[in-house]
Amino acid sequence: VRAVLVGLGAVGARAARQLLASPQVDHLAVLARKPVRSRGRSRELSGSFEVAELSPATLPAALRGASVTVLAAPGSQWVAQLSIDAGVPVVSASDRPDEVRALVAMDRQAQGRGLAVVAGAAMAPGLSCLLAAWASSRLDQLSELHIATLGTGGPQCAKRRHASLREPVEEWRDGRWARKAPGSGRELVWFPGQVGGADCYRLNRPDTFLLVRAFPGTSCVTTRAAASRRDRLTSWLPMLRPPHPEGTVGALRVEARGYRRGAAQSVVLGAAGRPALLAGTVAATAALRAATGQLRPGAGGLASLVPDPAAVLAELHDRGVQLSAFEGAPVNPAW
Amino acid sequence: MLAVALAGLAALVVRLRGSGGTPPHQGGWRELAASELAPPAKP
Repeated sequence: VRAVLVGLGAVGARAARQLLASPQVDHLAVLARKPVRSRGRSRELSGSFEVAELSPATLPAALRGASVTVLAAPGSQWVAQLSIDAGVPVVSASDRPDEVRALVAMDRQAQGRGLAVVAGAAMAPGLSCLLAAWASSRLDQLSELHIATLGTGGPQCAKRRHASLREPVEEWRDGRWARKAPGSGRELVWFPGQVGGADCYRLNRPDTFLLVRAFPGTSCVTTRAAASRRDRLTSWLPMLRPPHPEGTVGALRVEARGYRRGAAQSVVLGAAGRPALLAGTVAATAALRAATGQLRPGAGGLASLVPDPAAVLAELHDRGVQLSAFEGAPVNPAW
Repeated sequence: MLAVALAGLAALVVRLRGSGGTPPHQGGWRELAASELAPPAKP
């Protein structure tokens, strides 16, 4: 596998490490808008790789003979378009709703070329889609999906979350889209790991859009994220302080509600870890699968393109991603 | 006095017949093993 990675931020660096650690990868071409700023991170990598500046001049050369393109930097739709034109599958770790929708809009092109274009291969969306797909497979009929997250990856992810707390939220309610106020719908969510409980609020993230596409029969799909009063109060202002280089605490909770053997059931799954690490691992795993033709052709989220979510989750588990299931009382005998 | 007595009686009935109780003290998050990440057997 010859991979092209665009962006060497917190998520890109983690994805690069995972890719270079894989025996399947022969070479990794890293393209960064400011390669000088990526020097520190590239020094931590080992294996067959090169770092170059991302530009319309350097990209075609990097795409020649490539097996997959991984996008870990915002504003990379033009890279995705050139990759598809070159017949190279695309895996994007973006959590920006506009970018995800733009990638999904390339569905016809991707299907025409028999390529996978994965939109949202990170923690959320990404791992959230995989857990939702697996949880839905435990049910005979899926009716609701509820996603909640805590923490952010690198600075871009933190900026995105700050902006998403002031943007209108599109939520899937009773089988149709409903516009909700950002920062509304407080819900106390218990996350796995050491995180515990946190108040979560609606925010504008593309998980809902991707999951509704993957599971069109659901009546309700919601996305929330943990936020403090200060986060919500200052969301309409510029960030008061520069975002941290990388978030340390992160967690994800996915709840699927539906019916199994005629009885109402809910399956609650979760993951805990550094968000950038989780996102990079998911992006690298999806990239290797896209490069080796193990994803369905077309553009969409991982829940749409992965034929066997359990196998991907097992691979993520082997790569160190800690996955958990919530067992309330009484314990479900089906587990 | 009558109202207070009736309210107390109603509270007593609810207290004695109520089906509430303490929240569950068992269960919680359990880490999944790789072997559990297999497709389920559909009936």
